[in-house]
Amino acid sequence: MEQSVNYLGLIPLFPLMGAVLIGLLHVFTCKRTALPEKVYGILACIGPVLSFVLALKVFVALKALAPEARFLTHKAFTWFSVGDLHINMGFLADPLSCLMLLFVTFIGSLIHIYSIGYMGGDKNYGKFFAYMNLFLGSMLVLVLGDGPVVMFVGWEGVGLCSYLLISFYSEDRSNVLAGNKAFIVNRVGDLGFVLGMSFLFWGIGANGFDYLSLKANVQHLEPAIALTVCLLLFVGATGKSAQIPLYVWLPDAMAGPTPVSALIHAATMVTAGVYMVARFSFLYAGVELAGTIVAWVGILTALLAAIFGMFQDDIKKVLAYSTVSQLGYMFAGVGVAAYSAGIFHVFTHAFFKALLFLGAGAVIYALHHEQNIWKMGGLKNKMPKTYITMVIGALALAGCPPFSGFFSKDEILYSALATGHFGIWAVGVLVAGMTAYYTFRMIFVVFHGEPRDQHAYEHASEAPNVMTVPLIILAVGALFAGFLNLPGIFGGDQIVSHWLAPSLSEQHPHGNLFVEILAIGASVVAFAIGIKIAYGKFGQGAPEPSFSGFADFAYHKFYVDELYDRIIVQPYKAIGSSIWKVIEPNVTDAPIKGVSRLYMVLGTAFKVFQVGYVRIYALYMVLGLSIMSLLLSQSLN
Amino acid sequence: MMHCYLYLSIILFCLGIVGVVARRNVFTVFMSIELMLNAANLAFVTFARVHESMDGHVLAMMVMAVAAAEAALALAVVILLHKHKGKLDTNVFSLLKG
Amino acid sequence: MFEHVLSVIIFLPIIAGLLLLATPASKVIARFTGLAISLATLILSLDLYMGFKGTGLLECVENIPWIESLGISYGLGVDGISLFILMAGSVLLPLVYFVFGTKEKGYYANLLIVQGAMAGAVCATDMVLFYIFWEVMLLPVFFMLGLYGGPRRLPATLKITLYTIAGSLLMLAAIVYLGVSYHAQFNEWSFAMDKMAQLNLTGQVAAVAFFGFMIAFAIKIPLFPFHTWLPDAYTEAPTAATFVLSAVMAKIGVYGVIRFVVPVFDLEFARFAILLAYAGVIGMMYCGLAAIAQKDFKRMLAFSSASHMGVIALGVFCMNLQALTGSIYQIVAHATSTGVLFLFAGILEERTNTRTIDDLGGIAAKAPVFALYFAIAMLASVGLPGTSGFIGEFMIVLGAIKFNTVIGVLAGTTLIIGVCYMLWMFQRVFFEKTSSRAENFKELTLVEGLVFLPVILLIIVMGIYPHPFLSKITPSTALQFAQPASVVAQIPASNVQNLGLTIEQK
Repeated sequence: MEQSVNYLGLIPLFPLMGAVLIGLLHVFTCKRTALPEKVYGILACIGPVLSFVLALKVFVALKALAPEARFLTHKAFTWFSVGDLHINMGFLADPLSCLMLLFVTFIGSLIHIYSIGYMGGDKNYGKFFAYMNLFLGSMLVLVLGDGPVVMFVGWEGVGLCSYLLISFYSEDRSNVLAGNKAFIVNRVGDLGFVLGMSFLFWGIGANGFDYLSLKANVQHLEPAIALTVCLLLFVGATGKSAQIPLYVWLPDAMAGPTPVSALIHAATMVTAGVYMVARFSFLYAGVELAGTIVAWVGILTALLAAIFGMFQDDIKKVLAYSTVSQLGYMFAGVGVAAYSAGIFHVFTHAFFKALLFLGAGAVIYALHHEQNIWKMGGLKNKMPKTYITMVIGALALAGCPPFSGFFSKDEILYSALATGHFGIWAVGVLVAGMTAYYTFRMIFVVFHGEPRDQHAYEHASEAPNVMTVPLIILAVGALFAGFLNLPGIFGGDQIVSHWLAPSLSEQHPHGNLFVEILAIGASVVAFAIGIKIAYGKFGQGAPEPSFSGFADFAYHKFYVDELYDRIIVQPYKAIGSSIWKVIEPNVTDAPIKGVSRLYMVLGTAFKVFQVGYVRIYALYMVLGLSIMSLLLSQSLN
Repeated sequence: MMHCYLYLSIILFCLGIVGVVARRNVFTVFMSIELMLNAANLAFVTFARVHESMDGHVLAMMVMAVAAAEAALALAVVILLHKHKGKLDTNVFSLLKG
Repeated sequence: MFEHVLSVIIFLPIIAGLLLLATPASKVIARFTGLAISLATLILSLDLYMGFKGTGLLECVENIPWIESLGISYGLGVDGISLFILMAGSVLLPLVYFVFGTKEKGYYANLLIVQGAMAGAVCATDMVLFYIFWEVMLLPVFFMLGLYGGPRRLPATLKITLYTIAGSLLMLAAIVYLGVSYHAQFNEWSFAMDKMAQLNLTGQVAAVAFFGFMIAFAIKIPLFPFHTWLPDAYTEAPTAATFVLSAVMAKIGVYGVIRFVVPVFDLEFARFAILLAYAGVIGMMYCGLAAIAQKDFKRMLAFSSASHMGVIALGVFCMNLQALTGSIYQIVAHATSTGVLFLFAGILEERTNTRTIDDLGGIAAKAPVFALYFAIAMLASVGLPGTSGFIGEFMIVLGAIKFNTVIGVLAGTTLIIGVCYMLWMFQRVFFEKTSSRAENFKELTLVEGLVFLPVILLIIVMGIYPHPFLSKITPSTALQFAQPASVVAQIPASNVQNLGLTIEQK
């Protein structure tokens, strides 16, 4: 059934080798004469582009096979093998990973090219590209890895790279703290993932711990264990994909350079959780409760993030919350067992979110690292290319037909409705309206109206071509990607869903026309209301609002960060320091100190007899001898 | 008859002990030790006589020889002590006090 | 590989060290003698490693009768478990002579002696011989700590001495008990390891003897709550001694448990394993939490080391193949990562004259190579996949889940706890603005860079391609679970479930 090809391992290897090479070059030259930026830029783009070419090759190879036989594997070497535990460093390309592979390498390459312009002049230019390549390489390991353990390599790898890139401007403490937060929060999720893997292994792993073996044996898994595994893996996903309760790291991750945000939000990292759930669809499909929990967590995250997104004033934070919100949709999709819809939203989201971030980056670049939207305004005349592409991205994000986001989001909402999850659908429609509102609030404030900061406005200019060309390519993607999975009602035949079918354990709901029209109609209405309110408030330019009441509460993100700080971080530190200052000296070390104190006390007691006069010692001897001879004489009698 | 010698020996020994424990002059202490040694010698000789064995005599001779050597050494020590502190009071020397 | 290679590996450094002490050699001569001898030992060990067949049985066996009336023999041998601890010592110790070049003669001489004695303790197959090497390896550490340590070295020395001597005496008593029991059961004297395993020990005295061994090893590991000597000793000791203690000597404690306690006291071990596992996991959390409160980076690393040792010990107590193999692998991984981190801490201290985390900052900008090396060692220490730390940690957690779900989940928290203090420290020392003390921080010299390179590469290679290493360990660990079919019959019903796993593994 599966076919072995030996070039799969190369796909992640190219960027990884690029990372090592660039990293070494940077480390050994940065203290002396730095290499010209061009060298790094070109070296950095080779890896992703080669990977993209190979990904196309994989696609062609898969396409040539019969749909149910579309599994290409490559076992590079035995990673470790102890007793029943056999882990191969193996790679699997099937329709699901191939789709991920294509857009990850494509968008990754575009972001690399864009970064050549954006990062120009930075003294750690080389380091940046080393991390970027490492990031992409880790993501490709995650996508291609055959089996949860290999996936975990990439899983942790992207966590590490996000840490390194978020704290990239490491001289500023807040950036490093944001990086730490990202890594630690991710690690909390990773704990869930590791435990989930362990339970899965002891459940059915002994006969092979790669996906195909697991899929073949999944029916032997006890239901309780299956539920545990699903939930633990989902804990991992909430960490990586920023869902409640572990979403807090993602908005802070904006501390990194903007292309990093684009990479994290669009192509890599955050989509890993959704991919993982889809990858384990054979497991989740059998445990309905787990799916429902996933879907509800997802849709509530979408709602929460949308509320936060409506009140942010940092352009990147708005986009960050929109990502969290869209990720919530994806989880709602995979939660209601519409795996292909979830993955399709991952796919379209990658285009428009990369586009929006890179566009935001162009704006920030033009305004010399100003990120507050209330310092912008009227930029559409100065930066027409950026403006137009960003509007396309915003329309896609807001779910305006016929942009890509509309089709994918609608597919998820329709699936929720068709499978009877009315609550999820209703919240989803509400969030769709809110999405349209906050997206266009941002567009109107940044590009329309009068310039708020005249000085910055006058110095702003369109970004160089190396930055705008990727924007235009992505805009084309954001426009047309949706047509790849055109549902039957619009005359399409869901190419992507059919393509993914062999990888996913999915049953398409039998919807009827009424439900379909209801879903589409509700989405469109929600979009229209959202954009209308946004236009009414901000379309003609508006002053910076001051928040009060609920808005203020939402502006401060419901004080969740403060709450976590209060109930987790501070107690953690307090426990640490109380162990060190109180428990260690007074409890754990007490017995040993007690023994030494006992000797001190005994010594002090016996000191009394040491008077120092020889004759007294002689007296002790006499007394001792007398007592001994008395005892002796008594025992002899 | 033997008892008399042994009682004498005990009396001499006890006198020696009292001398060592109660007196503070180094010379007195020293003489008291000699007294104890001689008390022991007396006992040795007495028992040797009673048991008609020469062992006791040998030991007595041995003790006398050792006592002579000890006297030579001890007197040297006493002189040093006197040089050091200018006194021959044993209470002055209490370095081992705890 | 020749016949008496183990004896040479053991006695070459010891004799060289003693000669150095006896002769009025200068510092420079002492350093180069030490370097030459440790490199020679390294070459011999590599030769041994290459020739190691990985059958799971003892190889390179030497057995010479010594005190025949008591059946004590000079018995040496290595298997997959001891080989890796031996290699860890041989590979890592030459680094010290490169990094610290201006120490006293006695410093280097003691290092040599401790190296030989540790090799002896790991290779000994006779309990009495093991005990002798065990004691000999402690002495140089006391001297190094007491003579060349920090300002508060004397209390620290006193504490570690009292602790370890107390443990050693308990162990001696237990060894004597074993010898006498063997005489009583088989009517001949012997202290050989393989013969002890045939002993049938029951009753309270056996339990007491079991704890005699366990406490001695628990102190050395150190297992919670016997760890309190560690922060003081690790902090005050000169870096080389801390390095030796953390990288190799602590592991010999774990090795002792695997080699002496598990085969001989199989019943007691099965009975108390859950208790010991809790001690391991609580120790991991306790020390990991205490680490975050430290202001001194050396003390923080000390707690980090203790925390990881808790996990390693846990792997032994879980009584299944994956966890035990993971433990051995983690021993090597931890030796390389934490050992190197301690050496880096020594370098930091020498170049900035401070050990306070808050005094430092921005070193990554000043010394990128140093920061890169440090980061790799740190990531291995927190168990990132792709570094050596992950494989062992994953297998231990996996095995712990099988052993007991609660312990498994708690063991998993090492993923989080480790990363919290490490990142915090890395942030304060390497990131942020350059502090005044770090202003003139010198990058690693070329020699230092090249010397550390093999170890750093080893960390990565062990993470990416661990199979060759594991294939030498696994046969020996699998043998640990080979015999107890008869034992299981005697286990109380409540423990059968746990021990059932061990049979299944076979």
